[in-house]
Amino acid sequence: MITRRWSAALLCGLFAAFMAGTLTTGAVADETTPDSQEGPPPRVDLVLDVSGSMRERDMSDGQSRMAAAQQAFNEVIDAVPDEVYLGIRTLGATYPGDDVEVGCQDSEQLYPVGPVDRTEAKTAVATLRPTGWTPIGLALRGANEDLGDEEGTRRVVLITDGEDSCGDPDPCVVARELAASGTNLVVDTLGLTLDDAVREQLSCIAEATGGTYTAVQDAGQLGDRLNQLVRRADLPVEEPTDVAGAEECQDAPQLGVGVYNDRAVFGEHRWYRVAVQPGQELRASVSVAADREVNPDYGVLLRAVDERGRELTRGTGAGSGRTDVVSTGLRYPVPQEEDEDGDGESTADGASGDSGDGEGNGEAGVRYVCLDVGDSFSAPDAVQREPGLPVELTVDVVSAPGEPGDVAAFGLARGWVPLVLLTGAGLVAGLAWGLLARLGTAIGRAS
Amino acid sequence: MTARTRTRRLSRAGLLAAAALLALAGPARADGEGGDGEESPAEAGTTFRTATVLDQGQHGTATASTGDYLYWVFPVAAGQTATAEATVTLPDSATRSGPSTWRIDVYDGLRRRQACVSGAQTAVAAQEDAEISLDCTLRTVRSWAEPWSNDPLPGAYYLRLTVTDLPDRDLGLPIGAEAWTTVEDEGGAGDFGGELAAPLLPVGSAGSVDENAGSGDGAGDGTEEDGDQARYLAAVPEPEGGWSGGWWTDRWLWTAGGGVLGAVAAVGGYLLVRGPRRPSAG
Repeated sequence: MITRRWSAALLCGLFAAFMAGTLTTGAVADETTPDSQEGPPPRVDLVLDVSGSMRERDMSDGQSRMAAAQQAFNEVIDAVPDEVYLGIRTLGATYPGDDVEVGCQDSEQLYPVGPVDRTEAKTAVATLRPTGWTPIGLALRGANEDLGDEEGTRRVVLITDGEDSCGDPDPCVVARELAASGTNLVVDTLGLTLDDAVREQLSCIAEATGGTYTAVQDAGQLGDRLNQLVRRADLPVEEPTDVAGAEECQDAPQLGVGVYNDRAVFGEHRWYRVAVQPGQELRASVSVAADREVNPDYGVLLRAVDERGRELTRGTGAGSGRTDVVSTGLRYPVPQEEDEDGDGESTADGASGDSGDGEGNGEAGVRYVCLDVGDSFSAPDAVQREPGLPVELTVDVVSAPGEPGDVAAFGLARGWVPLVLLTGAGLVAGLAWGLLARLGTAIGRAS
Repeated sequence: MTARTRTRRLSRAGLLAAAALLALAGPARADGEGGDGEESPAEAGTTFRTATVLDQGQHGTATASTGDYLYWVFPVAAGQTATAEATVTLPDSATRSGPSTWRIDVYDGLRRRQACVSGAQTAVAAQEDAEISLDCTLRTVRSWAEPWSNDPLPGAYYLRLTVTDLPDRDLGLPIGAEAWTTVEDEGGAGDFGGELAAPLLPVGSAGSVDENAGSGDGAGDGTEEDGDQARYLAAVPEPEGGWSGGWWTDRWLWTAGGGVLGAVAAVGGYLLVRGPRRPSAG
């Protein structure tokens, strides 16, 4: 009786403690999410095409393209999370005339990027009437300015039903330039028509910035997708730090733990450097994105090289066909203090000589590992080379694993063979012992 | 009942409670970290960095456009064999213009591509198909591997789903996707020696470039303490039983059994050879 009560109490106590544990961890997790949001708010600029063709009534539910877009905008404005700064920009909203010069300058900010006043934003959207030209390139540049250049997620959602009717600047080139300007801009595109030229242009813009392209056929789908894209801006993900890799190891920037962005033109090698203590393991991964048309076979090579140029380890990745990125990674545990004196000394000398750069090696023992990123992307001649392909590099330093004494867990045996072997060994030992004992008694009796 | 037996029973009850607790703790904690309890995530990431976290056995759904690259990330512990599966609900066949090829790729926490041992990693959907299923079974995850090898190690695994070949005009059409993973414990045969100091988890925090490179106040020392967990991408839940699979393996039983058999054989052999004790001994 007593026992039962005791164990029940114990169970309750443990359970309570456990619940408390879960609750606190949950609370901590909940607190950290907004904490990481504390920084710069995610910003989204919706760019809406208000050109004359938006009048067309070809949405699957008989609505005009404009009406579908307006309905979707209202849904998004209602659903936008409070912490997201939303703005709206139009293109082709004001000039109905035929003058290319004027028509192609027609893009303006309808609602500034900031905390959303829902009624105000909806009123602004309701006033729009399909009017003019389609200067997409210009509108993208405008949207980039609307978003400002603070840190944090920056997304543009472009909704259009036609290809750029101005031609200059080429929207795809503009998108790539903006993405490469170190401002972490992603452009998602929504096409309100299934036209081939539109699809090509919009998917090119999306590809160039790491965004997505969607072909929209009805207002419901448009609203859902818009909402999804706006929510995507709100992910608690840190934007990588921009870094420029060097051509050689000794000029390479020294990286700490984290994620980095860089650009590498076709065939270029980028070098980085990481400080690792002996007994720690360096982990690095790299992905090179194909943000433009590339030839179907490609690869990436990540090498870890010591200060003297000796390759320590490498990671390779290769692929063929349609892809967003090709990636690879490596890990390299830096061995504990040098084992052999002679060799160790020369290593230390090499280290201070190479990496000192006149300043000298402050801390003894720190090893510098150079990371060399190269890729084998190639592209048809017509494809633009500059800016280079986006490179994303992650670096982590953890304590290194010990080498196992045996490939099997704890060196333990398993299966019938060791069982038979052990039994056999036992039997042989027993026989031998018994034989000795017999001999012993025989000798004893004889004497 | 003596005091002694009571304490013994009490401690046994305590042990039982602790065991029950341990059994509970795994899934419960995973749920807690997943955020919304049992609710399955309805979004997929579009890059390695934004991949949606799935627990083992958890289903994730997403609506997307044909041509999107969808990413999920899930944990696998040492000794487990994971199978990543996905189904794609294709756009209305009337709007499509031809067959499309779909593929899933699995990458480890260091973004190294992992081989599929079996399963339909790629599949071709005919124009009239409404749905297509893909799956990929990985190699059994080892608890340790040499740094130069590409062996699967405990940690996060990425699942990427995309269309690889399609008629141009089908790009951008809406699709639905569902992804999940199942793991199977490989048992003693998959229990390897050695242990990774830390699972391969993807780093998520923004990096810091050391301006005075070469001065040697290395990022190497500070980092270890600062953000031990904070630097990692997202709460990839630790599998039940830990990343390394724990100390238990049926190899203990086999080896101990071998020892017992050996001892029995030894005694038997001894008795056999020494012969029966002479009555004279008595």
